[in-house]
Amino acid sequence: MELRRASSTTIDGLPMHGGTEVVPLLRAGLLQAETLVDIRGVVPRDIAPGRIGAGATLAQLECEPGIPEVLREACKLAASPQLRNMGSLAGNLLQSTRCWYWRLNWPCRLHGGDECFARDGEHREHAIFANDYCASAHPSDVAAALLALDARIRTTTRELPIAELYRLPTEADRNTTTLETGEMILEVSFEECEQSVYLKAMERKRWAFPLVGVAAVRRGGETRVALAGVAPVPWLLADGLDAATPLPRNAYKVDVARALVKRARATIGA
Amino acid sequence: MQLTVNGHSYDVHGEVGTTLAESLREELSLTGTKIACGEGHCGACTVLVDGEPILSCITLVHAVEGAHVTTIEGLREHPMIGAFVRTDALQCGFCTPGQIVSAVALVESNSTPTTEEIRHAMAGNLCRCGAYPKIVEAIRTWQG
Amino acid sequence: MARLIRTEKEVEGRYEEVWLVVEEDSLDQWPAGPLEIVGRDALRVDGRERATGQAVYTADLAKPGMLHTAVLRSPHPRASVASIDLAPALALPGVHAAIGPGDIEQLTADCSFQGEAIAAVCADTLAQARAALRAIACEFEVLEPLLDPDEAVRRGSLLGDARERSRGDYEQGLAEADVVVEAEFRTQVVLHSSMETHQAVVEWIGEGVEVHVSTQYIWGIRDAVAQGLGLPADKVRVVCRYMGGGFGSKNGPDDYTFIAAELARRTSRPVKCALTRREENTAAGNRNATIQRLTVGARSDGTLTALGGEYVNAVGWSGWSAGTEGPMQMLYACPNVKTITYGAKLNLPPMKAFRAPGFVEGTFGLEALLDELATKLDLDPLELRRRNHTDEAPEGNEYSGKNLLECYRRAEPHWERRHEVRARSTATVKRGVGMASQIWYGGGGPPSYAWIRVGSDGRATVVTAMQDIGTGTRTAMAQIAAEELGIPLEHVTVTLGDSDRGPYATLSAGSSTTPSVGPAVRAAAADAREQIEEIAEQRGMKGASIAEVVDVLEDAQILGKGARGPNPTGKQVLTFGVQVAEVAVDIETGEVWVERIAAVHDVGRVINPLGASSQIEGGIIQGIGHTLSEERLHDPATGRLLTTTLDAYKLPTIADVPEIVSELIDEPDQHLTNLGAKGLGEPPIVPTAAAIANAIRDATGADVRQLPISREEMLRALREAEARQKEKVGAPAGV
Repeated sequence: MELRRASSTTIDGLPMHGGTEVVPLLRAGLLQAETLVDIRGVVPRDIAPGRIGAGATLAQLECEPGIPEVLREACKLAASPQLRNMGSLAGNLLQSTRCWYWRLNWPCRLHGGDECFARDGEHREHAIFANDYCASAHPSDVAAALLALDARIRTTTRELPIAELYRLPTEADRNTTTLETGEMILEVSFEECEQSVYLKAMERKRWAFPLVGVAAVRRGGETRVALAGVAPVPWLLADGLDAATPLPRNAYKVDVARALVKRARATIGA
Repeated sequence: MQLTVNGHSYDVHGEVGTTLAESLREELSLTGTKIACGEGHCGACTVLVDGEPILSCITLVHAVEGAHVTTIEGLREHPMIGAFVRTDALQCGFCTPGQIVSAVALVESNSTPTTEEIRHAMAGNLCRCGAYPKIVEAIRTWQG
Repeated sequence: MARLIRTEKEVEGRYEEVWLVVEEDSLDQWPAGPLEIVGRDALRVDGRERATGQAVYTADLAKPGMLHTAVLRSPHPRASVASIDLAPALALPGVHAAIGPGDIEQLTADCSFQGEAIAAVCADTLAQARAALRAIACEFEVLEPLLDPDEAVRRGSLLGDARERSRGDYEQGLAEADVVVEAEFRTQVVLHSSMETHQAVVEWIGEGVEVHVSTQYIWGIRDAVAQGLGLPADKVRVVCRYMGGGFGSKNGPDDYTFIAAELARRTSRPVKCALTRREENTAAGNRNATIQRLTVGARSDGTLTALGGEYVNAVGWSGWSAGTEGPMQMLYACPNVKTITYGAKLNLPPMKAFRAPGFVEGTFGLEALLDELATKLDLDPLELRRRNHTDEAPEGNEYSGKNLLECYRRAEPHWERRHEVRARSTATVKRGVGMASQIWYGGGGPPSYAWIRVGSDGRATVVTAMQDIGTGTRTAMAQIAAEELGIPLEHVTVTLGDSDRGPYATLSAGSSTTPSVGPAVRAAAADAREQIEEIAEQRGMKGASIAEVVDVLEDAQILGKGARGPNPTGKQVLTFGVQVAEVAVDIETGEVWVERIAAVHDVGRVINPLGASSQIEGGIIQGIGHTLSEERLHDPATGRLLTTTLDAYKLPTIADVPEIVSELIDEPDQHLTNLGAKGLGEPPIVPTAAAIANAIRDATGADVRQLPISREEMLRALREAEARQKEKVGAPAGV
């Protein structure tokens, strides 16, 4: 394996920023790479009103007064302090599921196999929406916040709404993002909002992935609510929680989500 | 490659893929930095890179070339050491160097953190012995 | 004078009859209360080494030429190795040796639990060893595992016989009861999660071996290694000066010590075999799951008439069936008690002792059941316990010392807070207070020995081959020696952790180090002091300080020796206590958090109040993890473990810790040794889960019945309570 420092945003190899996801996955054998490309020098990390360089760390963002509460709080409640110092905004959006079957390299559908072991197995931390093919839960607090903000993503090749960054895995394509090989996220932007909030249920007070994360944003009389930890991708709550399809051991997540959505809406005056 | 640790520059020879923790412990014999999980989950391997606490067990050593690494060995004279001993903020001691590195970073940026700020900033350093209440005490009273 | 006695030895609640040579303990106990050094706060004598990272743990050891090991462990709970070829591993760069099934007893082709060792390779670097491991061609025939504890009991897959214990007439007791409460409780598997994983470095030197190992029991390792390798025990040197946590999981040599020994023998190199965190979470031991089907009968005034329990310990493939029924048998005065305890043998990784094994789980069930009873009887839970307190051990023997009523008395101010705590409830966050009692062992026992040497500078070195596993025993021994010699604490050094450098000392488990080794250290110091007094008399310096008396010694040294005397005959040496927990429950999200725990324990004389408070806090915090967030999960179909990493297995963080206040009775047990001190490692974790569960009931009316109290369990219990309420009043609750 070799490590190169990127000199431009055109790269040939596996991009690595803080390495908080790439390094453990490489060492666990879940990722393979001949060439790692350190992209810290080429991804912008500056923070301006409504516009954030994708290389900004979560630690920078958690104490950045100029960004919406929902995003700041999502960053603050994500991961651990060291991981927030290391991890970039884009890296957080592109992190893989915490599904234990996937992390332990069971031959599940996300790994190209033909079974979702979680559905019939241990799925208390898993998806309650869109879970019929793969019950993995997307763990990004930050993605839910940006989805609620209706943020836009600028990559090395295009600009797109964050909702289009993600896709549900299918038999034909097991990916959960729409990024092409070599395509990198450079910047995230969003419109101002009036009120926003992020509420997170987790199994300890800090340093845990969301059982349910609720991001709510009020803007121009409209409220957008997005959830983390409830579907294989960040989930925009369009049809409400009655549309959830929980598995036997994670129905509690519906109750938790209902309570947190109610509180989030109340907090922002929706 | 050149690795700068505690103000000294070293030649290290690990292959790409070697972590900073491995280089520190195995090549430089700086074993104060502990590896307890090796996957970035527990904080025992915490060191400072350019002043920021990071997890050396999931940081590739080649990625910190040109940066300044501070390990517990570089903090021996820091008053935080005495604060941990004075308040009995350690038991088995295996997580302690990592705790102290995180604690030093906290007070260097905020010399009088509140209990809530301490709980937030120290949450990535697991201690199985449960020295936590006294770690809070150590950081609250680190200046003596 | 030495005396041979036949006595019962207790470790972790298990008794065995042994012959022991004991020496009479001729010293009178010190007066109660704080002395000059003992009974006063002392800073950890090795705190600075540990804090600065200078302390060398087994994990930090790097010997010249040392090889590193990777172990192939069964990924399946039950499988046989159909074929295995080590040759591809041996062909890889840096690899020095590979061993497989049958090469040593600890490597097998018939795997009965996930993580059982099959093969091992050693190489110049760990990365090379791991690469070599991946190259081993190994095919398995996967077999159906037995995973369900109740099914194991039905099929008779048991470890040992079912244990029946009874007194009085249980059926009669139930018939006399005005109220009977029954409930089933379940507790989960939790992992010790020592920060330093299990590991050893073994080197053959001359005709023997040197074993550096992260252990709680140097002498146990010495014997087991000697036996395993066919060596005389004095050819085995075991060293552990610093160790990174054990909690009961590091009492034996396990497979890694023997793997390292065999690879070291084959390569003539020192070999390190260290478990990875994933191996640690798989195969390094655990607190087994339990199922507890419990019944209590009581008169309307709260007097217990019957206690009954069927306990199933889901032991795993090996280990032992811990005394989960112990609290039910021992805690209260109830005349009619009947329990049966099964140890289910399953294709799951073996349990090991984990901080008060059995009693933590059993106290959760019993004390939660008692609060359900208190609710039914509309009795104050603390008053219910007082009414059933006993001064006479219900199983016969007298107590050596018991101050549980005093613990209850001192807990009262904390208990009285419940009105104020409840009043801080809101529409969605309910607050409450719960309590639970604690009973456990902790008296230690013989043998343990210590030597002491005093030089002409008046400084003393205590030499004993015990270990300080992080509990602060090194500091406690220094305090005891300094007190007895009348010299400053800074003038005492403690040398420990090396079987070649010092006499036998107990294992550091069962809360036994301080009560076992402490009296021996005091006896050794007293022996030295007496010699110094004789010299003082000869020099006409009676009453002079030790430093003044010994300053003419030059290179001569005063050598003292001491031994742990016997435990009091015919008496039960036990520890007692009570904890009061204050919790908050978010009734919409099922979140539970602990806001305050007050602990009052009776462990005899306290040597170091500062260190003792750390032990209490640590026990309570592990108890909170056990109660709220920790659970080892396995896939229900295959039995393969899922929580092998510390992101998935959730230890408490600093942000999860409540206010903890602690108090110790600090009354020396007048029958126990020259110190009157018992151990404190385990008692504080015993009542925590039950106190939290009872606080949840106080806050919400919900009966939580299983650990951990996840959001799922909390919301289930709340729904059940709501349904019960509706049934009772015929109207929606909370209106």
